[in-house]
Amino acid sequence: MRNYPPEDPVSSDCVSITGAAADKRITRLFESMRPDLLRFALWLTRDRALAEDVVQESLLRAWRSREALKDPACSRAWLLTIVRREHARLYERKRLELVSLNDALEHEGGALLSRDDSDVQALRAAILKLPIEYREPLIMQVLGGFSVDEIASELSLTASAVLTRLFRARNKLRTLYGLTPAPDVSGTEMPS
Amino acid sequence: MICEDARRFIGADPSATSGELAEHLKVCHACAEFQLEMVALEANIRRALEEPPAVARGRRRVPVQSRWALAASIVLVLMASLVIWAVRTENSLAHDVVAHVVAEPQSWAGTDAVPEDALEDVLRRSGVVLDATPYSVVYASSCWFRGHYVPHLVVRTAHNLVTVLILRDENVDRRQSFHEDGLSGVIVPSAHGSIAVLAASSVQLDDLAERMRLAVRSQSAE
Repeated sequence: MRNYPPEDPVSSDCVSITGAAADKRITRLFESMRPDLLRFALWLTRDRALAEDVVQESLLRAWRSREALKDPACSRAWLLTIVRREHARLYERKRLELVSLNDALEHEGGALLSRDDSDVQALRAAILKLPIEYREPLIMQVLGGFSVDEIASELSLTASAVLTRLFRARNKLRTLYGLTPAPDVSGTEMPS
Repeated sequence: MICEDARRFIGADPSATSGELAEHLKVCHACAEFQLEMVALEANIRRALEEPPAVARGRRRVPVQSRWALAASIVLVLMASLVIWAVRTENSLAHDVVAHVVAEPQSWAGTDAVPEDALEDVLRRSGVVLDATPYSVVYASSCWFRGHYVPHLVVRTAHNLVTVLILRDENVDRRQSFHEDGLSGVIVPSAHGSIAVLAASSVQLDDLAERMRLAVRSQSAE
């Protein structure tokens, strides 16, 4: 899906979308992606204020590196990657104060449970409770459309480790969903 | 392919199809059932993720200790900024005075006293008058300095030549001394702005500065 890493220099064989008119176009493009990016960030951060900060910072970074975006068709994956990295940077820069998920959900518990049918409601809550090491690749795969290899590259893991994490993420959801969990696999999760 | 591998692949991507997996599913009823469950679950996972979670806006609680540290940091930064600002302002005025004098070397070439009317013209242009002093003014020029015309004088003392800048629009809150580019001087506050006095040698300039301070009056005060 992603044919170049974000913020990489432009290669000569790609069409560069630069210039004033291109800047306007790219601004509209980025803004049109904002809801997608916010949703992705919300699932990662589980905190609205933090997610909004991450998206804002990501869009700024993307704007500064807009010359690296050669093909607008790749912009979604490119921006999602920047959001993921910005989220990761938050944890590198400082140890964030952890807010209890139950606390966070209590505030809008009604809203969380009001729209979907009960199965999906339960899944939404279950996904939010997944540890970040399982939630992140799952969200990247399902929401971002990233392949296992791309996730492995982005998370500095082996493809095998990503497969294991994705399996475990879904297996945990099976349990929370009321299905019998499959026996755990013995796959390694060593960094690549 | 063994069941563990098959379930791992299915769990990692329920819609995945590979020849090897397909072959296994044909002969393993349990794994085939597992895949059906996972495909159904996957549809619901996608539905669940479609909408952003309705999570709350996190309270950015700052521990009490951190709050004190934060407050102390802010106070320190403000104090440091004030000190730096004050020092920079003072230093930059002295620096500008020296730079101006250095750029006007002909001011030290005068030997004869400046005619009284010429001196008055220079002073009038800046709205000041100069009472009698024991010094002879050998150079007088109305100079553009920091956005205003200021009297640039050179007076002869018993020992040397001393430059005097009457800075009506530059206020300082206390005496400042400086040494820069081979020049030593002081800037003293006066009733109207300040007065800069400087000389090439490290002589005592405070007495002269005080006399000039007392001698300079505002034209409107006459």
